[in-house]
Amino acid sequence: MKRIFAVALGILTAIGGFLDIGDMVTNAVVGSRFGLSLAWVVVLGVGGICVFAQMSGRVAAVSGRATFELIRERLGPRAALANLCASFLINLMTVTAEIGGVALALELASSVSYLLWVPFAGLAVWLVVWRVKFSVLENVTGLLGLSLIGFAVALFLLDPPWLDLGRQALQQVEFSEEQTTTYWYYAIALFGAAMTPYEVFFFSSGAVEEGWKSTDLNQSRANVIVGFPLGGVLSIALAGCAAVVLLPQAIQVSTLGQLMLPMAVAAGKLLVAIVLLGVVAATFGAALETTLSSGYTLAQFFGWSWGKFRRPIQAARFHLVMIVVVIIGMGVLFTGVDPVLVTELSVVFSAIALPLTYIPILIIANDPQYMGRMVNGRVTGVVAVCYLGVILAASLAAIPLMIITGAGQ
Amino acid sequence: MTAEYPLDPEAATGRVLDGHLHLLDRQVHDVASVPVTAVSDLELSDVDSIENIAPGTPAPEIVALLSGSVLGTRIFGGRPPPSRLQRIAWSAVDQVGVVIRLAVKGETLDATWSERWVRDHIIGRIPGGRHDPE
Repeated sequence: MKRIFAVALGILTAIGGFLDIGDMVTNAVVGSRFGLSLAWVVVLGVGGICVFAQMSGRVAAVSGRATFELIRERLGPRAALANLCASFLINLMTVTAEIGGVALALELASSVSYLLWVPFAGLAVWLVVWRVKFSVLENVTGLLGLSLIGFAVALFLLDPPWLDLGRQALQQVEFSEEQTTTYWYYAIALFGAAMTPYEVFFFSSGAVEEGWKSTDLNQSRANVIVGFPLGGVLSIALAGCAAVVLLPQAIQVSTLGQLMLPMAVAAGKLLVAIVLLGVVAATFGAALETTLSSGYTLAQFFGWSWGKFRRPIQAARFHLVMIVVVIIGMGVLFTGVDPVLVTELSVVFSAIALPLTYIPILIIANDPQYMGRMVNGRVTGVVAVCYLGVILAASLAAIPLMIITGAGQ
Repeated sequence: MTAEYPLDPEAATGRVLDGHLHLLDRQVHDVASVPVTAVSDLELSDVDSIENIAPGTPAPEIVALLSGSVLGTRIFGGRPPPSRLQRIAWSAVDQVGVVIRLAVKGETLDATWSERWVRDHIIGRIPGGRHDPE
């Protein structure tokens, strides 16, 4: 019974953990402009994150080493430093977006300006990182994030013309006013949102935090392979809601409030309240994950002591980095920059940086010196290399597409 | 698998360590498995001149693992003055495996001075910093 409970808990937290502000904003924007015609990208991205997240968990469980230690060891200090700079900056951008997301959701709930919520959100993130146990923070935010099932509920209550939605998804109906380049720009953004690199840092470091052994791997695999796709279904449901309610009205999502409109149309205030709770929990959870990831990457590169299983004084520099990161994130938000814009840019930059994270993971997972018997099997190897091709293509195409489309205008 | 290679002289006969592969950029753990640093460079015993090495000269030995500012000079070139090197004496090394394990406590080493400074001046002074997470 206890075992079943543990598996269920893991899967449920993975569902909530998959969705963050980047997934929500990008899916809503895409749904309101392209209907479900980009749903295939979510499916592709979910497959990719499943393959690589369980790979990084396996590397951490078998070798007891987290990703960034290994990146430095295998790529040498120069390449690793360049990688660190890029990953850290994008991670910082994501932290900013997530804290902004929490503040925006609280603004929707309270009608108090998000700028006033930013310090509270930042302080809350830091307090949790400072004092709360790893397992607690992971489970609570993951479970509350489950209220995002409201996206799927809303789609059903809207009772849309399912055939039309299916046609959008499978037959790629043309949207006359949209350019092909914009379509591909948002395809890359969606891919970056689904595969966000911080997930890998967080996943591998989390495996070390919780002291996974090779015997725990089956459970982690189940969490990822069941939980993440269910999270992906919720993303597609959100895009579907936007496609049903916002697309016909030509409303392009540019605020969190517009993202919530379909829920209000479908079931009124109550569903909006439930979904808002989910948005706050999921973005708060992601803010914690990204803040921790920034500490993990830096500490692991320099070989510092790190981890939530230690007291803060036993991992002093790790905690200092996280304090600084949260302060910088709040500072950026205080300039008045639109958090939704930061989010949209952060997912595209994530897509650009994907190879930096995923290539080293693949190299190490293929290396019997680290992995022994648990080295990548033939099937995983082939799938991972195929994904690597997609990741490289997305990464190379992202900047040109960003310039041509004016960041998706 | 976490292969651990004992470095005591009898057991280690025939074990060849590649400095680049097995030592540089490896994570260093202290005797209590607390991360100390990553190896940024190695200090070798002096060889008078690189060009003309007389036959029969004993091979240089590893004197210490280096960390700290030497990472910057390794990446960007140059070399810090010897007085600025943070050394971990090779004699303190216990095992070389997927991590380099020391036989001493990290607390006592130069390499952790910044950790101790941040702990004593910042993190230790914030309430809750000395307690286990709950």
